[in-house]
Amino acid sequence: MVTLYEGAVLALLAGGVFFGVVAAVGLLRMPDLYTRAHAASKADTLGAGLSLAAAAAVLASSLPTIKAVLLLVFLFLTNPTAAHAISRAAADQGIEPWTAEDGGGGDGK
Amino acid sequence: MTLLTDALLAAAGAFIILSVVIVYRIVRGPTMQDRVIAVNVVGTNTVVIIALFAAALDSPGVLDIALVYALLNFLMSIAISKFTVERGGVM
Amino acid sequence: MALIRTQYSYHDNSDCCSQLSGRVRPVGGPVAHDCGVATVTGERLLVPVSESPTLRNTVAYAVRNAVEAEDRYDAVHFVCPASRRIAGEGSVESARELLERVAVWAAEDLGADDPEVGVETALIGVDTYLFSPSDYVELLADYATDNDIDSVLLDPEFNPGENTPLLPPLESELERTGFSVEMAPVERGTRRGRLVRRAGLGQFVLLAGLSYGFYLLIGGSLAAFDLVTGAMSAGIVATVLLRVSTTGPVQPRKLVARIVRMLVYTPYLLYEIVVANVAIAYVVLHPSLPIDPEVVEFDAVVWSELSVMTLANSITLTPGTLTIDVNSRHFVVHTLTEGSREDLLEGGLERAVRFVFYGRAAARGPGPRERGDDGGEET
Repeated sequence: MVTLYEGAVLALLAGGVFFGVVAAVGLLRMPDLYTRAHAASKADTLGAGLSLAAAAAVLASSLPTIKAVLLLVFLFLTNPTAAHAISRAAADQGIEPWTAEDGGGGDGK
Repeated sequence: MTLLTDALLAAAGAFIILSVVIVYRIVRGPTMQDRVIAVNVVGTNTVVIIALFAAALDSPGVLDIALVYALLNFLMSIAISKFTVERGGVM
Repeated sequence: MALIRTQYSYHDNSDCCSQLSGRVRPVGGPVAHDCGVATVTGERLLVPVSESPTLRNTVAYAVRNAVEAEDRYDAVHFVCPASRRIAGEGSVESARELLERVAVWAAEDLGADDPEVGVETALIGVDTYLFSPSDYVELLADYATDNDIDSVLLDPEFNPGENTPLLPPLESELERTGFSVEMAPVERGTRRGRLVRRAGLGQFVLLAGLSYGFYLLIGGSLAAFDLVTGAMSAGIVATVLLRVSTTGPVQPRKLVARIVRMLVYTPYLLYEIVVANVAIAYVVLHPSLPIDPEVVEFDAVVWSELSVMTLANSITLTPGTLTIDVNSRHFVVHTLTEGSREDLLEGGLERAVRFVFYGRAAARGPGPRERGDDGGEET
């Protein structure tokens, strides 16, 4: 029988995997570096966050749970910073962002 | 408990498959920064995988490895972005 | 012994007699002029100063230059641009301290045997808005005209704005205005910006406490061994990193208030993140990939480095927006869709960050759009 606790953990895991998939698909489908960075910095951060929350819930003893939460906070701080650093390096090297006109495929707004 | 263990392991497996898929982006590029972003995502996934294993196998000591890995992953991104820029000042 | 005069001149104030203190000359030297500006002959040298790693050497070079070419310079003016309007009263205070330091250094370098070179320091631009290099040029030119100066010596690391690279345009603009500009030949540090700051006990306690807490948390035990080794490593870490990891004196009450407001901010941010991700998931998984990326730029009304960082990270985490570049307060943001662009320019996040760092009153300020900044688009 699935208890409420187990259901919550399962939901967190499902959400985590879902956003992990979104990050991977985004990384493969997006047309240029900046848009890929969007997928990587957001979807992946949330995916990792939800999965870590599930892990923290399962561990359920004080110290490892605190560590998992610490890991979560750390990811939330560092992932955007890393994405920002990389895209700034790209902008510095003069890589132009892709726009809807370039591709023609996207239906714009 | 075994249901949760299975679920955690399945999620870890899913993240492993995702990481393998992302290797396509690392190989294809086309720019250095694309690869760095992809490697960064693989690194994040690795952290998650380690944490999920720690929870599934009930071995909290493994979490320390995940913590160190997260630190290294962040450093990697910063270091590469720093040194691909001529003036060397991203941060 | 050369004596030092300090003046606090305000940009639009051409009346030299309003300066706070009169010109001071060495005992036995020429008689002091009340307003001694326009009447003194001989060349003077203008040295704009700001906190920089090469400042000490620049001061030394300026003084040596003035002494050795005595027929050329009879006074060296060190001026420090500081705007209360932009960076607050604190920046004016630190500029004042900086000038005091410069004056002491200059006196040291002059030594007792050189009464002919006068050293003056001035704080300029206190009540003006200083943004672009041309603002600084105008300010320096006004000061130079008031004081009859036409030579400028630049510190290669001169950088009065937050972190904006200012020098190359400054040099050429000054030359265009008709000054003879010289770059001080001092060793240029590899580090941009002011990484190393002055630090005090408050920062040490904060940093050591954080490190100690982290050490014990990771170690997971409170045995005597851990307590001792933790205290030792925390001490070492705090000593080594003290000067690079904090931005100013610690004000406990402010800090606590910020942490509390940060706790209020976190759920809001989490909510925004979830919304962002659902939107991204829709866009990414939609078969036709309906994206319309565009780069927008705007000036955020946040002031400290920490709040700029928080805002930049929050922008990256929320609806389809990714911070590419931040120059002091100027944000360059890559936006994925039309909707995310609108949200960004409405300024909800910016308000929230202002709330965290400056309290409720600041949060009510206008967003970028209401300020008439419609995100000047870049190609």
